[in-house]
Amino acid sequence: MSDTASSRLLSGRSLAMAGGLVVVGLLPLAAGASPYMLGLLISSLILAGLGLSWALLGNLGGMVSFGHAAFFGVGSYASALLAAKLGVPVLLAIPLAGGVATLSSLAMLPALRLSGPYFALAILAYAQIFRILATEASWLTGGAAGLQRFPGLPTVFGFNFAERHGSYVLVLGMVVLCALIYVVIRRSYVGIALRAIAESEDATRVVGVNSTLLKTWMLMLSAFIAGMFGALNAHIIGFLEPDYAFSGIWSVMPIIGAVFGGYRSVIGPVFGAVVIYMFDQVIAKSLIPVGHQILLGIVLAGMVLLAPNGLAGLVGRIFSRTGGKHHARA
Amino acid sequence: MLALDGVTVRFGGLLALSNITFTVEKGEILGLVGPNGAGKTTLFNCISGLVRARGRIGFEGKDMTRLPLHRRARSGIGRTFQIPQPMHHLTVRENLTVAQVFGAGRKDPARIAEILDVMELSHKADADAASALALQELKRLEIAKALATEPRLLLLDEVLAGLESNAKRSFMLKLRELHALFGLTIVIVEHDIETISNLCTRAVVLNFGQLIADGTPAEVFSNPAVVESYTGTAHA
Repeated sequence: MSDTASSRLLSGRSLAMAGGLVVVGLLPLAAGASPYMLGLLISSLILAGLGLSWALLGNLGGMVSFGHAAFFGVGSYASALLAAKLGVPVLLAIPLAGGVATLSSLAMLPALRLSGPYFALAILAYAQIFRILATEASWLTGGAAGLQRFPGLPTVFGFNFAERHGSYVLVLGMVVLCALIYVVIRRSYVGIALRAIAESEDATRVVGVNSTLLKTWMLMLSAFIAGMFGALNAHIIGFLEPDYAFSGIWSVMPIIGAVFGGYRSVIGPVFGAVVIYMFDQVIAKSLIPVGHQILLGIVLAGMVLLAPNGLAGLVGRIFSRTGGKHHARA
Repeated sequence: MLALDGVTVRFGGLLALSNITFTVEKGEILGLVGPNGAGKTTLFNCISGLVRARGRIGFEGKDMTRLPLHRRARSGIGRTFQIPQPMHHLTVRENLTVAQVFGAGRKDPARIAEILDVMELSHKADADAASALALQELKRLEIAKALATEPRLLLLDEVLAGLESNAKRSFMLKLRELHALFGLTIVIVEHDIETISNLCTRAVVLNFGQLIADGTPAEVFSNPAVVESYTGTAHA
């Protein structure tokens, strides 16, 4: 964060990264990927967005969350209900659902006093509370039977977001937008202070940083993003039930993706989620149809042991060995 | 400038500070002295807000007792830690900039450059992450970081510890320079009697959480209670 760099929160490199993401992301469309493959890629991008929201809290806020399923689930239900019961247009319901997930995160504020495993356990319990609420409030959520009849993604200016290509472009755009938001925050003084808080909270507070406030902002933003991706996912798949919307998968997979890709970088959680999900669904499932997750575990363990900084760190190392510049802060 | 009135801290059954009452005048360099476990760092923690205390802590006429730590820093109380706690992954300049933006509420690169210059850290400003600095440089960064918050009261916790005698002497001169240049009031925790005698206009001695002497260094170090606290005979 030199002075010049900090004054330009979105540097040329960040925009190049965003452009690169868009280009790489559009390759499957250019290559004529099948609807099945696009469906898998959409799911992987949903996880990528969720991974970004997790990393925002874990990397910048220093808070390891095992409960992002709560925000994802709340966002899913909020958007579906807003659209189905109040007739809110879906593209408006999605950010509103992010807002509802943000509100739900306020209940977690007392947990910000906790750190490390205590915070992780508290937020894990919190996710369970919301799953139970969604099951029990059947008058609103349909209970365990779930919700089936709510609007899907709309057609805007002739572009059908409900169709696979349209959904893919929308989710990809959302991931790129969230990555840019992450970059801007990371490069700001708030982001730098947050990373310092993760190292030594007291040392940061004695220079005037209100660590509780900054961590609250990160929790709220993280919940907002997770809620929006939950909402997007709900309108794409067209059904919801508590065990699905609040499934532990939504807490665990973003962590696996972020760790695999390199949670300290911005790009790591995105590529990590896409690579690990596609590996699981395309390769591991074809090799071991039942219990394919075991391969996922082996690959993740290998990555953690051989490249603790994930894919992003590995690529950086390869670049530095081949004479390229090693950008530790990709 | 700083007024402590009946400051008391308990950690469970342990009375870490008992009814500490004294004032620090503007422009003073006050030495806070005492054997290990006397409560010096705990008192710093109370003043800076890391530890909640009973009693009253006043700063420039305002009651700080219930203010959170970051608000006290923004009010003009800067502090260092005995073991330097830089923001490790940031460069020296970034450490100072974060401290200035949040502590002083403004961004002034010229002021940062001045602090870097005075603390002889200019050559390291953008070179490496703070984690790569040597001990003496880390101690200078610790002070520089506190200065970046633009404090009027600076609490220095054993900044001279671990330095060899020449380094200690030059560091002492540096502290005098900072005192004059930035118009600071300084409270320094230090074990070395010679350092306190040379640097401070006044010394306060703590032992087992109690204030046992307050006066000029010469008066304090000739006080039998202080001598006993250092030789250990009083509580042996």
